[in-house]
Amino acid sequence: MKKVLITVLSVFALTAQADFLGSAHNWNNGSSDSFKSAVKAAEAGYKANLAVNMAWRDTGKMIKEAKKLNAAGKTAAAVALANKAYAQTANATAQAAIAGSAGPSF
Amino acid sequence: MKKLITVVAGISFLVGTASADVASDQKALIGHFKSIQPNVEFADYTNGVYAYDKGSRDQFEEILDGIPPYEEAVEKGGAEYLKYGLNKCAALADPAAARVKHPYYDDAAGTVVTLEGTIQKCYNEQTGKKLGTMKGKIARISAWISDQAAGEKINVKVESEGAKAAYARGKAFFYAKRGQFNMSCADCHVYNAGKKARADILSPALGHTTHVPMYRAKWSGLGTLHRRYGGCLKNMRAKPIKAQKEVYRDMELFHQAMSNGLEITDARYRK
Repeated sequence: MKKVLITVLSVFALTAQADFLGSAHNWNNGSSDSFKSAVKAAEAGYKANLAVNMAWRDTGKMIKEAKKLNAAGKTAAAVALANKAYAQTANATAQAAIAGSAGPSF
Repeated sequence: MKKLITVVAGISFLVGTASADVASDQKALIGHFKSIQPNVEFADYTNGVYAYDKGSRDQFEEILDGIPPYEEAVEKGGAEYLKYGLNKCAALADPAAARVKHPYYDDAAGTVVTLEGTIQKCYNEQTGKKLGTMKGKIARISAWISDQAAGEKINVKVESEGAKAAYARGKAFFYAKRGQFNMSCADCHVYNAGKKARADILSPALGHTTHVPMYRAKWSGLGTLHRRYGGCLKNMRAKPIKAQKEVYRDMELFHQAMSNGLEITDARYRK
């Protein structure tokens, strides 16, 4: 009985934690829903980067390419590319956070 | 009376500090270049990268001794200046003065005004048409106007609060790391100027704006400073910003101000 209780509680705890993960995090890399959330996160990040003139050169192309892959039924590859694009936007956001105070280092 | 003196002294101090920003920034920049290239005189930075490498300088002078590849285009720019009535606009009526005056901060408009921006505005007033921003007609006309100021010195003024804010934004843009390579303009053109990036020698930021618009062998034609900004951002794998947008205009204010005191030149050939 004790073992069953521990198992149930553990599963519950893991499920609750998973609910708190960001929408860009995909457990299932093959589903259409995971593509939608991945591309949505990438697009939102890219839009924010563009607004502060800090977007990276290839992010937009990657998002377009991911959409093409998804349309062609290659969902896993599409999700992987969308996640890569999202990672670029996260890095650009980090650059933007310190760009305003940049100055010479000599 | 005591209060008045305090206020006037305070204002004088603030104005002094503000105008000193450009001067102190430039002094620090010149000091940096002096430390990495002690034998290059300040005035020689008018020649940009050709102040650093003898082989490239010889090649550059050989090109100038013949018929520079941009000569015809610049002459055409002069003809276009008259053809489209740009001499009728007060801001461009004296082309040499126009080159020296730009870029400047227009307090009424609350923005930096570049030479190309003024050419575009005037062209639109005279012809009712729009003019491009990076190459072709605008580069030719701008090059011809700049030629009229050859030998005069760059003298960008940053005086009002608005100008200082634009200058600060431009400076931050120049030094901020961006793109997939996480590089700033300064990483190449300040800290590593004179070193090689593949087969090219990285040009020093000091003197970058003495010969704009420039003819680049890579382009096989003339291009504006903002065209070059776009190319640099692409190289850093950052998304280029449209020419004549505010961020570029702010950076141009800073960038040109760093070359204050250097001669404007009509030798616009670059590799």
